[in-house]
Amino acid sequence: MPKRELIGKETEATTVTINPESNKAFAKVVGELDPLYHDEAAARAAGYANVLAPPTYPIAFMAESMNPELFFELELNLPSIVHGEQEFLYFQPIVTGVELTMKGRIADMWEKTGRSGTLDFVVMEAEASDQQGKPVYTSRITLISKRASE
Amino acid sequence: MSNYRVGDELAPMVAGEVTRELITAYSQVSMDPNPMHTDEELAKAMGYPTVYAQGMLGMAMLARHLGQVAGMGKLHRIKCRFKTMTWPGETITCRAKVTAVEEKDGKQLVTVEIHTENQDGEPKVLGEAVFAV
Repeated sequence: MPKRELIGKETEATTVTINPESNKAFAKVVGELDPLYHDEAAARAAGYANVLAPPTYPIAFMAESMNPELFFELELNLPSIVHGEQEFLYFQPIVTGVELTMKGRIADMWEKTGRSGTLDFVVMEAEASDQQGKPVYTSRITLISKRASE
Repeated sequence: MSNYRVGDELAPMVAGEVTRELITAYSQVSMDPNPMHTDEELAKAMGYPTVYAQGMLGMAMLARHLGQVAGMGKLHRIKCRFKTMTWPGETITCRAKVTAVEEKDGKQLVTVEIHTENQDGEPKVLGEAVFAV
């Protein structure tokens, strides 16, 4: 059973630098064709250090912002986990090729019991900031895990 | 100043058909390791009719729609709930309806209720977003 006392627990900060080429591949697949996502010259002309990432691209490196040990400490029923909800808050454009500092924490946890058993809900939050320490975006992912019958 | 008013429906965006190729490509570029999106036999063994699309693919379509409506870099917040699965062969349309308009720090912020739906109008990914005008 997931441990409620983990609510508020933070992970050690990690750093991520978005690879502009992987970002372009993502943008193409999701149909984001604006030159600011694809063309370095266009991005620089607009005042950015490199191409921008589409709003939902941070999902691709979500795992890197969460310490796996903390994730396993949650004791969720791994094969049953589904991605229930996703939220992003944006404070400035997400620029590729520059280092972001990521801090993760367990933001909330609750359970719901119905006819088919008990579901555990876990909200994991990641805050990304730039090299000046200013916030770039916050991600909140809600995972739903079905508890194995006891 | 914009003309957004509560109750307005924004011009919808037809995101197109969700093909198996698109689902597979999205798994690759989003680093999604879940085999239920790519392994037909496994999906059937787990009781699904076939593979299904990632909820985040629908969210990416909704974010693209809002970018088209509001412009690049105007999105302040987007939140989605993955209500039901999107299946290969479904044609997805993104819709948004204004639920609030407020002034903040000299900017106008528009809150919209958003969702994707298939060709029969069945909602798939539901959510809310805020963008600046």
